[in-house]
Amino acid sequence: MSTASPSPAAPYRIPSSLALAARQFPRHRLALVGFVCLLAICLAAALAPWVAPYDPVQIKLGSKLKPPSWEHWLGTDHFGRDVFSRLIWGGRTSLSVGALVVAFAFTIGVPLGLASGYFGGRVDNLLMRLVDAFLTFPPLLLAVALVGLLGPDIQNVMLAIGLVQAPILARVVRGSTLAVREDVYVTAARALGARPTRIVLSHILRNVMSPIVVQLTVVFAAAVIAEASLSFLGFGTQPPQPSWGRDMSEARRFLADAPWMFMAPTGIIMLCVLSINFLGDGLRDALDPRAWRTRRRLADGEG
Amino acid sequence: MPLLSVRNLTTRFATDRGVVRAVSGVSFDLEEGEVLGLVGESGSGKSVTALSIMRLVPEPPGRVTADAIEFDGLDLMRLSEAEAREIRGARMAMVFQDPMRSLNPVLTIGRQTTEVLRRHQKLDGKAARRRAIELLEMVGIPMAERRLGAYPHQFSGGMRQRVMIAMALSCNPRLLIADEATTALDVTIQAQIIDLVKRLQRDRGTAVIWISHDLGVVAGLCDRVNVMYAGTVVESGPIRRLFHRPGHGYTVGLMGSTPRVDGAAAHRLTPIEGLPPNLIDPITLCPFLPRCRVAVAACHERPPAPRQFAAGHWAACFADLVR
Amino acid sequence: MGRYIARRLIQVPLVLVVVSLMTFLITRATPGDPVQIMLGMQTSKEAAEAMRKEFNLDRSLPEQYVLWLGKVVSGDLGRSIRLNDPVTTLLAERLPVSLQLAAAGMAFALLVSIPLGVAAALRRNSWIDYLCTGYTVAGFAIPNFGLALILIYVFSIRLDWLPITGIGTAEQLSGGVWTYVKPFIIPAIALGMLQTAILTRLLRSSMIDVLSQDYMRTARAKGLMPATVVVVHALKNAMIPFVTMAAIQFGYMIGIQVTIEYIFAVPGMGSAVLNAVVNRDFPVIQGFTLVIAAFFLFANILADLLYALLDPRIRY
Repeated sequence: MSTASPSPAAPYRIPSSLALAARQFPRHRLALVGFVCLLAICLAAALAPWVAPYDPVQIKLGSKLKPPSWEHWLGTDHFGRDVFSRLIWGGRTSLSVGALVVAFAFTIGVPLGLASGYFGGRVDNLLMRLVDAFLTFPPLLLAVALVGLLGPDIQNVMLAIGLVQAPILARVVRGSTLAVREDVYVTAARALGARPTRIVLSHILRNVMSPIVVQLTVVFAAAVIAEASLSFLGFGTQPPQPSWGRDMSEARRFLADAPWMFMAPTGIIMLCVLSINFLGDGLRDALDPRAWRTRRRLADGEG
Repeated sequence: MPLLSVRNLTTRFATDRGVVRAVSGVSFDLEEGEVLGLVGESGSGKSVTALSIMRLVPEPPGRVTADAIEFDGLDLMRLSEAEAREIRGARMAMVFQDPMRSLNPVLTIGRQTTEVLRRHQKLDGKAARRRAIELLEMVGIPMAERRLGAYPHQFSGGMRQRVMIAMALSCNPRLLIADEATTALDVTIQAQIIDLVKRLQRDRGTAVIWISHDLGVVAGLCDRVNVMYAGTVVESGPIRRLFHRPGHGYTVGLMGSTPRVDGAAAHRLTPIEGLPPNLIDPITLCPFLPRCRVAVAACHERPPAPRQFAAGHWAACFADLVR
Repeated sequence: MGRYIARRLIQVPLVLVVVSLMTFLITRATPGDPVQIMLGMQTSKEAAEAMRKEFNLDRSLPEQYVLWLGKVVSGDLGRSIRLNDPVTTLLAERLPVSLQLAAAGMAFALLVSIPLGVAAALRRNSWIDYLCTGYTVAGFAIPNFGLALILIYVFSIRLDWLPITGIGTAEQLSGGVWTYVKPFIIPAIALGMLQTAILTRLLRSSMIDVLSQDYMRTARAKGLMPATVVVVHALKNAMIPFVTMAAIQFGYMIGIQVTIEYIFAVPGMGSAVLNAVVNRDFPVIQGFTLVIAAFFLFANILADLLYALLDPRIRY
């Protein structure tokens, strides 16, 4: 861990190439750890009926507000429900909202971004002003307004978060498309008389896929936090259904007596978002040709 | 006693692939008021030599060792960083290659010129300003007073290099190191800057180390030349002798001339084929051997030792180029 | 420069019209009748009709919008259906609270991000750099309400150092400086955490970038003191993107306080919108979103201005 520079008195040892490689490695190791953690959370949520040790909604007042023990790994809440089981079941909502928002943002944001970036001019101007207007709304307030007015079911939650995330994705895609558009091969394809749709789909989309994939991890992380925030404010999942955000809201009343009630969902949200972010960083490094070049240049001892 | 005396200077850098020996075992002397050229291809260790003397090599990843670097009665290797700061910019100063990027874009020319004076000569704001105007006028910047408030991007490349020179000379340094100071400039501007340095050097008796890969510039300016290759000085000598009687295969290649048996030189541009060696790998024989056109049998057996041809002219080469 | 700013300012009303149109459509296209929520089920038809008439709810949607817009231009944001107060009065109560909270959050973000980002860039791969990375990674991952609960648990419940509520209350305004600052500490940290992470990461990377520039070598070659080299030569350059981002984030922070206001019972703009949504209080929703959006837009223009002010190379 420590790579403190040698003190002036100590004989100078230049780090071996292995040591330098080891310094680079943690990023990718973290990406792997992130992937494994995320996979574990997803699997647990998907297999909740078999994995969760208790029923997440059944009230057992006899065993309420019990601290973590062998019986209840993360303790119980004010209705005697097992916190660990509620985390596992709650993951279903969070992760499926995350996945739905990713799908929504992809289907709306990518075509908009591609069209805006490829056609430019008026189309671009109109679409980007619309995106600007959307981004002027504070995202959480927009989501609160939409869910509050439409009603708190999962489609509305997904829609409310997706409407915030799609324009951001569109802007990212537009930027990358603009950069790719002028590349030689696109000009060449156009000169050969290819139809715009063909150029966009076969040439540009393939080349802007990496920033899209990376941005989608950002969208997923933002969606998980946004869903939790909505539920925390009472606009998402309704009780008694388990939900990370909602359970934290309930836990506020028992901060002093049952701190595990808020710590467990906070921890799982952090773990989830950290995992996604590490995975995203790893993907960014792996997919970015510029990063390869930088790495090679460093290896050549330049700069 | 020489003004600057470098003995066995070695500078290494730690990189992902291993340790790069950018400079290995460089030794030379510089007399007061002398102009020394340091020539060689990029990556030959010229700039790193200069930065090592200035104590500007970042450590880590760099590491500078030397038996001694004596300057103006001081052993630079023994100075603390704080002591080195007192020398830098005052007794020795440096001008860098790219005047476009060597000036701070968000500070005014006035601020950047006066800060050296305030730091080393302890001038107050007004005195520093007056002196800065003098200096800028000295390096040929018209209406200097009005330009103190300007930013670097409002100046042309040649003007910026003049500012750099004014800053370097502001504390009357005994040694000026110019690292490719004219490379980034147009040919006409180059000539102006060289004339300026020549004039200031003569007026003030400043010693100069002029780093360049352009032999023409070096020929017009320097008294003596060190030819560097792969981190070592392969040949050193007075400028005229070295030009007429190059003693190293690399110097010959660098001058783009092929020696003939009768001693005359056919002047045509012949770029040296191949690439300089990788400085991570250990070098046992002559580093220039793979690219050398005049190699003899001994070159493949052992590393060449310096051979003296005349007073102050030597080369580390087995080939009998000098008669 | 002046022309550029003028052009940006002209765009503000246009964007605001789009924003208000969107808010209008969202509020009116969704189910829920404010009058019914307000008066309850047992009211007489006549009373409900009278109220609808009073708030122009009986007119067609385009008419309603035009009427509302016409009044906004003259500075009248309408009246709250639920509280019957002018929206501008509510704003006058709520806006200062939100601004103070945002300022407190930004103060925390600046206080942490500047030293941390600079130190991490100067000592790369040292413990401080790892601390910086760990801090930013955590800052991006923790939801602000989760952090708020942790801070309350540790500093209010366990240690009993800081109060949980008290922002925007009377005694807070009449007491001394410490009475004023105390209730802000936990909300400011929780609110500013994400901004701290964003700003620290930005400053670290722009500082690293600046430190590798040629002019930094020039500065060291001049023999300047390390503090001068870092503060005058490096920080002045690295601060350009940092200050710009801080301005943008400040505009943003007014709109993301909802959860924090909810936890700490802060009478700010976010919780006002929250209540208005629940009660279908259309004028409040529209008025407040308009003001929040305007803040965001002005913060962006301010960011551009600061950029031009700090970087002599920029001329619009």
